[in-house]
Amino acid sequence: MKNVAKFLAIAVVFALIMAALPGATNAQGGGGIIIEATFGSGPNTFNPLFCNDTACSRIVSFLFPGLLGTDPDQQNIVKGVPEAMAQDWTISEDGRTVTFKLRQDRVWSDGTPITAKDFLFSWKVANDETTKSFLTFYTGLIESVEAPDDFTLVVTHKVASCNAVSQSSLPFVPSHLFAEVAPDKLNTLPYNINPNVTAGLYKFGEFRTGEQTSLLRDDAYPFEKAKTDGFIYKVVPDQTVLVEQFLAGETNFIDGAPVNRRSDVKAAADAGTVKAYDFAGNSWDYLALNFADPTNPQNGLDKNGNPIDQGKHPLFGDIKVRQAIAYAIDVDSIIKGAVFGEGTRMAANMIPTSWAVDKNLAPLPFDPEKSKALLAEAGWKPGPDGILTKDGVRFSFTLFTNQGNTRREAIGKIVKDSLAAVGIEVDFQLIDFNVLIERFRSQTYDAFILGWRNGYPDSPDQTQLFARTSDVVGSGSNFTSWSNPKVDDLMKKALSLPGCDQAERAKLYAEIQKIFQEELPYIPMFVINGQYAARSTVNGFDPRPNEPFWNIQTWTVSQ
Amino acid sequence: MVKYIARRIVQSIPTLFGITILTWIIMLAAPGGPTGALVLDPNLTPQQRERAAEVLGVNDPMPVQYIRWLIGNDWHWFLGPIDYNFRDRNNDGVPELGTDRGILRGDFGISFANNNRPVLPLFAERLGATLELGFSALLFGLILGVPIGITAAVLRGSPFDNATRVFAVVVNAVPIFWLGLILILIFGANLKILPMGGRCPVVLTGGCPPLYERLNYLLLPTIVLGAGGVAGYSRYLRASMLDVLGQDYMRTARSKGLAERVVWFAHGARNALIPLATFLGPAIAFVWGGAFVTETIFSWPGIGRLTLQSIVAQDYAMIMAVTVFSALATVIGYIISDVLYALIDPRIRFG
Repeated sequence: MKNVAKFLAIAVVFALIMAALPGATNAQGGGGIIIEATFGSGPNTFNPLFCNDTACSRIVSFLFPGLLGTDPDQQNIVKGVPEAMAQDWTISEDGRTVTFKLRQDRVWSDGTPITAKDFLFSWKVANDETTKSFLTFYTGLIESVEAPDDFTLVVTHKVASCNAVSQSSLPFVPSHLFAEVAPDKLNTLPYNINPNVTAGLYKFGEFRTGEQTSLLRDDAYPFEKAKTDGFIYKVVPDQTVLVEQFLAGETNFIDGAPVNRRSDVKAAADAGTVKAYDFAGNSWDYLALNFADPTNPQNGLDKNGNPIDQGKHPLFGDIKVRQAIAYAIDVDSIIKGAVFGEGTRMAANMIPTSWAVDKNLAPLPFDPEKSKALLAEAGWKPGPDGILTKDGVRFSFTLFTNQGNTRREAIGKIVKDSLAAVGIEVDFQLIDFNVLIERFRSQTYDAFILGWRNGYPDSPDQTQLFARTSDVVGSGSNFTSWSNPKVDDLMKKALSLPGCDQAERAKLYAEIQKIFQEELPYIPMFVINGQYAARSTVNGFDPRPNEPFWNIQTWTVSQ
Repeated sequence: MVKYIARRIVQSIPTLFGITILTWIIMLAAPGGPTGALVLDPNLTPQQRERAAEVLGVNDPMPVQYIRWLIGNDWHWFLGPIDYNFRDRNNDGVPELGTDRGILRGDFGISFANNNRPVLPLFAERLGATLELGFSALLFGLILGVPIGITAAVLRGSPFDNATRVFAVVVNAVPIFWLGLILILIFGANLKILPMGGRCPVVLTGGCPPLYERLNYLLLPTIVLGAGGVAGYSRYLRASMLDVLGQDYMRTARSKGLAERVVWFAHGARNALIPLATFLGPAIAFVWGGAFVTETIFSWPGIGRLTLQSIVAQDYAMIMAVTVFSALATVIGYIISDVLYALIDPRIRFG
């Protein structure tokens, strides 16, 4: 027993010594440090040639100059942003070629001028598969990149597109460092995790894999310099811990706390310890309804571009039925139940922050009576068990969503209840994500709930989602087989409008949204709101949607 | 003994291959693939998705992918003209062969989920953290578990014995993630005496200090990861010790007039510890393989977290690398275990 007591005493002393060790401190210079935690694995490359996830993009955007700049208020690419390499550009008559005029006064931190060569190198990498770079995606869009001189870039796209400018944005890299490197060795360079030659607001500090990345103010930055001493991006893979660290002040900026914790962040905001900013985000959930016969999936068009008979879905082939379903679903309740109220309704197919969204188009109201009337008009009568029937067919279908996504599980449950109230029976099934993908790509489903995640700045073009050319069994994303030649025309016109006038394009997209809301290839639901929050010690925090750091150079962090 | 060890090593080779083939089949049989992450982008064309799959080489037939993983891709001449190797650097229709070396020549490929970085450095970067936490947890388990087990056996039926039994049941029943979160909330968020996860202080410059200056970061994860060991070792030791206490030589020792303490610890515990040697093999694999949940909760940058992320992202190359290393560690661990057992216990001979 004495031994046990001795042992316990040693253990207690040990614990006390541990507790007495200093915790994380950041006593640094005067401007303070921005500390953000990221959920997930964290960055693992800082070379823009290889960076392909949000974690490394966060760091890369602080270290490297970009071709284009955005206006946070317009949420779009604009000319004349001082920090952007391209100050001006012209688009050719045919809409395929963009000629960019580059800044001539930027240099890498080792003194080498930043020129068109540094952009051409990225294009070379994109065209070389041995580099294993995801830039290879650009070769699907861009036909050629040329540099008539050191400060002019001519980018020719495969097809005329008003997205030509945004789709030209290959990265600038210090190519003089890579000139002698074999293409298949580029992804093993020490530079990739220690980028010591950069040209951004911050310069590289330290990287500890899976733990943290630190950036230091770059005093050689030719534009307004950062006031903070640095930026630390730490990895906190557990979301509960991530939020707790922010609430405890171990971090001072948070991007997108999980929706079930937003109320805690807001409570802290009410108490004055943090500042929170909510906005309509880019990820949206929808309920897809199959228009075509799921027992015999067919492409939308044949090789010559002629429509193929795809049959009709026994339930959703009827436009009145689709409208009835839309009226029967209480999306506001879904937003409360599935995302704790942290969602913004969509009226049609555009996210609320897109410049192309039709602000005059209201979402369809929740109206079960109208829903019942439409179903009756379509010939569906209540059967003996209360479920609607028509010509001996019961109105019953299978609704899928991916297992493990609690938000979509909640949506599905409410949809099932809402539709039961108008006499529709839903067999709601949770299946593996990849099985679901195979199911919808093969177009052998009735209905499913899933989401899309739009980029920023948002491209309103949805050719991949709704054009008849994308209705390809096995690979296309128009898996509901929505077939509307007028919509195809409008999308094409809006994407290749000569001059690409934004207001004119917005009108065309507004027309598409009206048709979408009437024909309902998806029942649109909501975007999940984004949230940026900073501790009240962070001064200058004034975010815009998708642009939390647009004015980060003015931020200070008081200790 | 050398002959015995050599034979064990040779015997383990087919086991290792069996493990890799099984893992490979299970991995590729799972629906989806590493390009699954691309499906949520509404602007991606089917051609772009297809291209991503080609670049990753996941369109090849399953056996081709396995053999390429094993011995590289400079053997394709054997099959004559080929159309499933997409590494055509010059776009001239002639694929460059030999760019993959295969794991037998030390090339574990590139990690899709980690921006296509080579697997080995990614793995190596994480190893230190995992060994640090794994060994502390193992030590914690042994240092607490062994004395508790022995004492419980000596004081069989006492309140102490019962308390340790309850402790063992509770520890085994409590989910690790819950225990971890609760400890973080109590000591990090409320009492603010320990950091809320991480391995080193968060600093702009200066790097990670030596281990003895950041034991406070190690404490909670060690407790959470080692608690199971304390419970397990103490129960095991108790059983082993009880067995020993009933042996004739214990009675002999007592009859010689030795003090009880000497009997228990010099004669009893020493023999009771022998079966523990068999635990060392699995323990080494455990240390090496990392801890999925503990590393995630405590933001510990180790192999366990890397493995978990690789599985979620269906990152074939990384999953295979982790499997191979874990299998290797397990096999080596068991060989060491057997050798140790034979060395400690004179009743066992190398056969």
